[in-house]
Amino acid sequence: MIDTTLRQRPLFLLAALVLAQVLLLAFQIKRDHDVRLIRYWAAAVIMPFERGGTSAFSKTGGIWSDYVGLRGTRAENARLRAEVDQLQLRNRELEGQAGEAQRLSVLLNFHDAHPETQMLSAQVIGASADPASHTLFLNRGERDHVRRNQAVITPDGIVGKIVEVFPATSQVLLISDKDSGAGALLADTRTHGVVKGSGDPDPRLDYVVNDEPVHAGEVILTSGEDRIFPKDLLIGTVSMANPGNPFQVIHVQPAARLDRLEDVLILLTPQELKKPNESDDAGGSQTISPGIVQREPAPPSNPAPSAANAAKPNRAHPAVGTVTAPPAASPKPPAATPNTQAPASAPAAPQN
Amino acid sequence: MSYMLNPGAQSESNIEVHKYYGGTVIVTAFLALVLQAFLHKYGRWSELIDLPLLVTVYFGVSRRNPVTGMFLGAAVGLLQDALSHDNPIGLYGISKTIVGYLASTVGARIDTQHPVSRLALIFLFFHFHQILFAITQRALLNHSEPFFTLRLLLNSAVTAAFGVALFALLDRLRRS
Repeated sequence: MIDTTLRQRPLFLLAALVLAQVLLLAFQIKRDHDVRLIRYWAAAVIMPFERGGTSAFSKTGGIWSDYVGLRGTRAENARLRAEVDQLQLRNRELEGQAGEAQRLSVLLNFHDAHPETQMLSAQVIGASADPASHTLFLNRGERDHVRRNQAVITPDGIVGKIVEVFPATSQVLLISDKDSGAGALLADTRTHGVVKGSGDPDPRLDYVVNDEPVHAGEVILTSGEDRIFPKDLLIGTVSMANPGNPFQVIHVQPAARLDRLEDVLILLTPQELKKPNESDDAGGSQTISPGIVQREPAPPSNPAPSAANAAKPNRAHPAVGTVTAPPAASPKPPAATPNTQAPASAPAAPQN
Repeated sequence: MSYMLNPGAQSESNIEVHKYYGGTVIVTAFLALVLQAFLHKYGRWSELIDLPLLVTVYFGVSRRNPVTGMFLGAAVGLLQDALSHDNPIGLYGISKTIVGYLASTVGARIDTQHPVSRLALIFLFFHFHQILFAITQRALLNHSEPFFTLRLLLNSAVTAAFGVALFALLDRLRRS
């Protein structure tokens, strides 16, 4: 009997355990009592682990999603880099086109400001193979009515003149070439001289006597005496002036960017460019366009038309054009003759 | 394979009783409860698996001690009830107490090491547990808990498949 009882002990325990739980259930149902204490302790034991698991899971999930996201980001980054490269290339193209449009716009404005002058826009298509020769090739030629000794300018200032004409192209001799020359005058004193190329990037202004006050930054204009460049076109500014023998050594900073020319204007006629407000504005010095400076009356302190200057010896110099009738009060260097239209009375001058 | 499911294939004395490191049973049961509650937040797919039942069955058939099995089942079931909001405490307790006892008894009579026998055991115990749960609900709470549905069949299949892998994992916790 006892042995049977011991052998059946687990079964009795099971029955007791189940019965206890049935009673617990009955207690909860019959009395409508919730055993909050058991739930409370169960939650108190389990929930910290739940909270920790949730936190760890969300962090792990975050790391995982970040890792996956980074993989995607890496691919996206490579794609965006390629796109940026393409856009930069496209941007450079557009910048080039915008720059060209701006240059052409400046040329067009300049052309429109001087409708009386026949101009032809041209593009620089090449340069000389000889480093010592400062020449350019333009995409305009005989078919476009380009002729030798026509002036080539930009709205910034003069560039040079046509020295060779081919059917579809032409060659320009820059003012910086050692064989080049242009009649010039100092804007402040109206002192005449000749801008000659020196082979260096900066040309020189020759035939200005040592007594003439010249200061750095002074504007140099075309005098029109060479009959190639119309009068009062901007050549450049004085970058350095030193006494010399017998004339001052004056370095000129060209106004036109001779080393970065892309588009130029060819003046088909040597006609002097009119200022748009010449008729209604008689006085004062002002710039009409970047390349043309309105002539100003000599200030009272300006010694330009002085007797001393007038008494200075006129010596022939290699000018680039025929000297026209000088202004009444303007000192001038001796006349020079162009190689094309030299009047019989003018002495010939060596011309490039 | 037939001997595995045949209670008479091996004698009770030849069945090996597995020992575990101290606290293994309690920690594993506790983790099963925590995981069950934790995974429940991340979707209904977690309802496919009854982790507390798997732990009860595993340690029941491994320890092969009916007393330990029933007390483990009771503790796990009561805690499962306590963590649920609407279950009166004792519903899962009664079911898992009986399952724990029965698993220990069965484990003492047949070899439950083979994956196929484990799959069958888990599958059967799942439905036995559901039947006990439904009876308790119907008898004591007057609730119409179903004995069998297709959903329960799917749950039992998934739990059984998962249980085979879990049992293999838990086997590593044995003290050799």
